[in-house]
Amino acid sequence: MTEKSVAAFMDDPMGYFDRSVTKMHSLPRAELEALQRAAMARRFAQHRERIEIVRKLAERLGIDALHDFDDVVPLLFPHTAFKSYPASLLDKKRFDLMTKWLGKVTSYDLSNVDTRGCDSIDEWIDRLDEQTPLEVITSSGTTGTLSIIPKDRAGAVYTMKLWRLFLFQTFGREPTADEIDPVVDVIWPNHASGKLGHLRMAAMLKREFTGGDETRFHALYSDAISTDLMFLASKMRAAASRGELDRLEIDPELLARKDEFVAMQARRPQEMAEFFTRLTRELAGKRVFMIGAYNLMYEVAAAGLERGMRHVFAPDSAILTGGGMKGFVLPANYMDVIREFLGVDRIQEGYGMSETSTLNWACDAGRYHVQPWIIPFVLDPETSEPLPRRGIQTGRAAFYDLFVTAHWGGVISGDEITVDWDGPCACGQTSVHIAHDIVRYSEKQGVEDDRISCSATQQVNDEAVSFLSGFEG
Amino acid sequence: MTAFRVPIFLRGKVIEDDWVEFGGRGSGRTFLAPDPHRWAGHLPLGSPGDLGDLHAVPFAEILDVLDALGQALDFETNPYIRQAYEAGLVATNYPASMLAQSYVALPLVFAREYVREMAESTVGIDYLDGWVSRTLRDGRELRVRAFGARSLHVPAGNGGIVSAVTIIRNAITRSDAIVKIPSNDPLTAMAIARTLADVAPNHPLTRHLAVAYWKGGDVAVEEQICRPEKIEKIIAWGGFGSVKHVTRYIQPGLELIALDPKRSASIIGREAFDSDTTLREVALRAATDIGVANQEGCACARVIWVQSGTDAEGLARINRLGDLIYEALLALPDHVSTKPRSFDRDLYDHLQASRLGGEDWFRVIGGDNREGAITVSQIDEPVDYAPLLSGRVANLVPVDDIERVTAAVNAYTQTVGIYPESLKRTLRDTLPLFGAQRLTSLGYACHVATAMPQDAIEPVRRMCKWIVDETCDPAVVRPMWRSLDAAVA
Repeated sequence: MTEKSVAAFMDDPMGYFDRSVTKMHSLPRAELEALQRAAMARRFAQHRERIEIVRKLAERLGIDALHDFDDVVPLLFPHTAFKSYPASLLDKKRFDLMTKWLGKVTSYDLSNVDTRGCDSIDEWIDRLDEQTPLEVITSSGTTGTLSIIPKDRAGAVYTMKLWRLFLFQTFGREPTADEIDPVVDVIWPNHASGKLGHLRMAAMLKREFTGGDETRFHALYSDAISTDLMFLASKMRAAASRGELDRLEIDPELLARKDEFVAMQARRPQEMAEFFTRLTRELAGKRVFMIGAYNLMYEVAAAGLERGMRHVFAPDSAILTGGGMKGFVLPANYMDVIREFLGVDRIQEGYGMSETSTLNWACDAGRYHVQPWIIPFVLDPETSEPLPRRGIQTGRAAFYDLFVTAHWGGVISGDEITVDWDGPCACGQTSVHIAHDIVRYSEKQGVEDDRISCSATQQVNDEAVSFLSGFEG
Repeated sequence: MTAFRVPIFLRGKVIEDDWVEFGGRGSGRTFLAPDPHRWAGHLPLGSPGDLGDLHAVPFAEILDVLDALGQALDFETNPYIRQAYEAGLVATNYPASMLAQSYVALPLVFAREYVREMAESTVGIDYLDGWVSRTLRDGRELRVRAFGARSLHVPAGNGGIVSAVTIIRNAITRSDAIVKIPSNDPLTAMAIARTLADVAPNHPLTRHLAVAYWKGGDVAVEEQICRPEKIEKIIAWGGFGSVKHVTRYIQPGLELIALDPKRSASIIGREAFDSDTTLREVALRAATDIGVANQEGCACARVIWVQSGTDAEGLARINRLGDLIYEALLALPDHVSTKPRSFDRDLYDHLQASRLGGEDWFRVIGGDNREGAITVSQIDEPVDYAPLLSGRVANLVPVDDIERVTAAVNAYTQTVGIYPESLKRTLRDTLPLFGAQRLTSLGYACHVATAMPQDAIEPVRRMCKWIVDETCDPAVVRPMWRSLDAAVA
């Protein structure tokens, strides 16, 4: 193991593993762990120098270097790290201060970003897109805040390429040219754009999978979800829980767009009808890539079956789903409904977090295999102390992603996972594997989660629109 | 393994049968109680007329019984209180020192003079003990009496005092109570009821008390109780969920008295910075409002608004106050406040984040060992996670102008501790418009008396049925059957 091979492993894992899914998940565990340890030490040294909050935390804890896996645990970030600014900065449109804050959590220098005249969150993010290597993603919480994760464009492009490998290759078989470079129609049963985590993906998918032909990207709804509107929705929930809904101030710029939002809502049934027409007329029998959370997939499939559509796509199409089920009650046979509609052999599932570089894909045995450049941890859910890396362990999931460069790659999740550290998986992959059943701790404890999940976006967006509708614009 | 048993107290009888298991809040806190589905139908009073016996008891006798009950609730000798304390160690978040203190203080609440004061100021003993007459302008003689009612009580579980107050209020209003036990205070109401049965066997006060556990929201149980033919009032304390779920039973003939979730704040005027001695006293008072009962009470201070100014000097002032409050908080005696037994994980993460990228706006003092912490805002706004503040964590917010502190209160605000008194007088006519319900001297937020309105209502008056008896003499009060002309003539 040379310095050079460690650098290749952490900076370009696709190249390191010859773009082969089989090679990525066949490395003997000891060999992989040696690589991971060396890469961890290297990445930490870089980020300690380049990311202010990593340096500060390391100094506070007196950590100069990382050797063993568990050494990084005190440095893993809770979800709050990406919303440590006061939310009032967004209300006051202090995007200069927001940029300064963002500069502390990313490895990029943002000191030259010009935010003059910026008057919405979406516009600020557009400026960052134009002037920096960043492509930040946002997610709204229920405490009136907005998480902002400074992802970068290069990482996003790379992630999509990784996705392609996993979507079209099969473990244990060397990939064919067609599996490495397929061009397909992308079906996106969602809004066409936006800065929320999952909507950002739309543009990436368009870029990566359609071979540059944008007409091959098919979104359910043509418009974007506004980040500013989602921020309002988040503030509404917080204000309601504090008994202060009467004091919520509405940004006049947003109120001025009220009619636009209402019209967008009104257009939805029509757009859905058109979407199905397109599926039957243009896409029937074609090889496609369709992606959506369980509930979205189910809604589309059920609506399609109702219109008499079944076995719509070519059997070698790629289908990817996942996500939380909170707030949705799907019938027990929801996967059958989805299958019946799609007519596709393999429906793939992935588990990951916004903070990590890519998904961990489920194998045929239904277990999620952790990518080699991601170091998994199972933590005591209360104390966050690491549980032993042997046997079968259940606890709070945490990850250190060696590939992430734009921000610190260590993150603690809100999920309970079960990892089998030693037992081999029936599928033959050598990587660490996670049991299929994953629950959020908040769901388990029956408490409100400070996160508006991507699958609830539509519902929350509608709440905000109907709230806005009550005001005179 | 179950930690303890919670029987049913049924008007003097103790039911220890049909045990089924329940899970307490938090993990590993299970206990046994008689199957509520089997017993729910036995809880309500058979007939409204059965309250007649209690209305025949003179008020002085009620005071006698309560006083004797209080004396019998001795922490050292009363076996039921001992059981309640031991169950509390398992079921609550309070450390032993604080839990013991809450039981030591219990007898005082029942003392004759305290109960008399409570009855006099929250209802009026004359109204409780008989008919109060006056003559109206039109000549009729009016007599008013406060009658008891058949009630369901859903007390909060953060401290046994709530159960004690519930039982006292029930007694002085000559009402009939079914007390639904909170899972996080499983045996206090039971201990008081069983001691009452020992002190006053077969007394009407004993016969008008039932205490039982069922899981809040168990419709199959509650529908057997919450009907206008069984009870007339529901008195619900505590969390949003527990108050919200009982609203489903409210209908004509069945009233809700809601003592719903509340939060509290403090306001400190610029006089606090007059001298170092004053500042230290203010810090100690603020620390007390934060720390009592480890901030589990609704009266505990969470966000503290300070008229320090927001310029560099102002921030230096408030930061110094933050340091002093933190010191005072850690120095509070063990029976008042300790390091919390559990600490909200999300809050811990937010404190970490405030330290790590939020340091331009927030300064966090302490908190590394989950012992409590003070976050001092460096802008005139509370932290976004203010609703999570708990486990002895408070947020100091600097303001330039006292007008800004109306932001401190909203519809959910109960107590506001204020320093100095002159500032309280300035604020008392405006703050309540925005939501505050009780203004008190800083340091006394959790030092709650029972002889006053609560949560901006008068719950004890509302627990009564206010009955009117009038006498109209046709020679004095013009009868409607007589024509207007005749009256004029």
